[in-house]
Amino acid sequence: MSHIFYDHLIILEEVEIEVKNIASSSEEREELWKLIDEIIHHRVLESIFDILPREHHEEFLTKFHEAPYHEELFNYLKEKTQQDVEKVLSEKIQALEKEILKEIKG
Amino acid sequence: MGQLPTQTYHNIGRKKVDSDVLRQKLKLKQFEVKRNVFGKYPHVGKFFADRGIDPGKIREHSAKLIGTGAIVGSLLFLPPVSVKFLPSPPELLDKFKNKIDESEGSVSKKKILVETFNSILPVRPRPLTRDEEKLLEQIFGNIIGIPARATLEGEHLNTTYGFIGAEQHLRRYPGDSVSEHGEGIILKEGMAPGLGAWGYFSQSRESLTEDLEDVERWYAVVQTLYLSDWNKRQPYLKNWYKYRKVLIVNTQNGNAVVASIADSGPAAWTGKHFGGSPEVMEYLGGSRYKKGAVIIFFVDDPKNRIPLGPVEYANLKLGSMLININK
Repeated sequence: MSHIFYDHLIILEEVEIEVKNIASSSEEREELWKLIDEIIHHRVLESIFDILPREHHEEFLTKFHEAPYHEELFNYLKEKTQQDVEKVLSEKIQALEKEILKEIKG
Repeated sequence: MGQLPTQTYHNIGRKKVDSDVLRQKLKLKQFEVKRNVFGKYPHVGKFFADRGIDPGKIREHSAKLIGTGAIVGSLLFLPPVSVKFLPSPPELLDKFKNKIDESEGSVSKKKILVETFNSILPVRPRPLTRDEEKLLEQIFGNIIGIPARATLEGEHLNTTYGFIGAEQHLRRYPGDSVSEHGEGIILKEGMAPGLGAWGYFSQSRESLTEDLEDVERWYAVVQTLYLSDWNKRQPYLKNWYKYRKVLIVNTQNGNAVVASIADSGPAAWTGKHFGGSPEVMEYLGGSRYKKGAVIIFFVDDPKNRIPLGPVEYANLKLGSMLININK
């Protein structure tokens, strides 16, 4: 359990270095961090709903809303999707890191 | 050859534009991903809208839930699998006594501390429950001898158990350079490109006191930006956290440092929850230590008597520890 149940999958080290070098103040840096955080949450949710059968969406949303930190959410998703959800999300997050780096460097 | 003073504005202009451009790009990206998920799944957008929550800011919502002690109170789940049944302080006392009996008192207190961590902490760091934090406060007070609190004057970090990562030296005054920060291996991390969250420590080299040098040398980074009430309670919180003393304990080896908070971060998407100056990290885990699990509590030191830096508790007598634990 962490603040968000998938937090341990999100490690964007290269993005971290780039943002540190670009931001000229701590306020600016924090604003960029939060924007990236918001991008991640939306993308992860999209990835979850892509693999979760429609009939379970409301139940997952209710559980997620009540305890977004709860590690049991992974077990719930594994059971309902019959997939290795951590692996799926890790791959999506890696792809997202590349997209963000492209935005930064591009 | 360096730039002429008259050319340095080029850097300022370029840096500013880069940051503004990146912000715009990220805002566009955020808009795009939001549109994608809610375009595909409008019922998801409606679910969050009905509850007044922006899913992009789910971290704030989660922090509020954790702050209200909802961790083990959720109706939809069993208690988290990583929540262990905690021993009571008397049970811990018995354990320590046994250790001493077995080893004729030669067992190091660091080892006892690490074994205690292993028995009560989950393997994967997470925000601790209030009971877990209370137990650790007692352990730290009695074994390390530092009055440490998870909650001090009503303030609490978003997490007290997490991963710490290596930070760079902070610029203490205009014109400061990394070579002014000591010598040897601790210079390897270099200087952070920006200033810490509280800006320069002093306005000139001459006005930098020894105390402020120590603050930078033994500084910690905590995620003040994710505190649920951070924006609402300004400037109080910013002042409260500025150079606030914290006890950092490496849960793998028991090494402990008293540090002062001098920057905010790291970002939540780095896999880290705290940061430590090169000196802090070197003491906690050696020159190759870049990331590791730690406990961070505030130091209750209203009279400012506890110095910053390494905590030397290996020489304290175990007997006195046991007496204190009994109190």
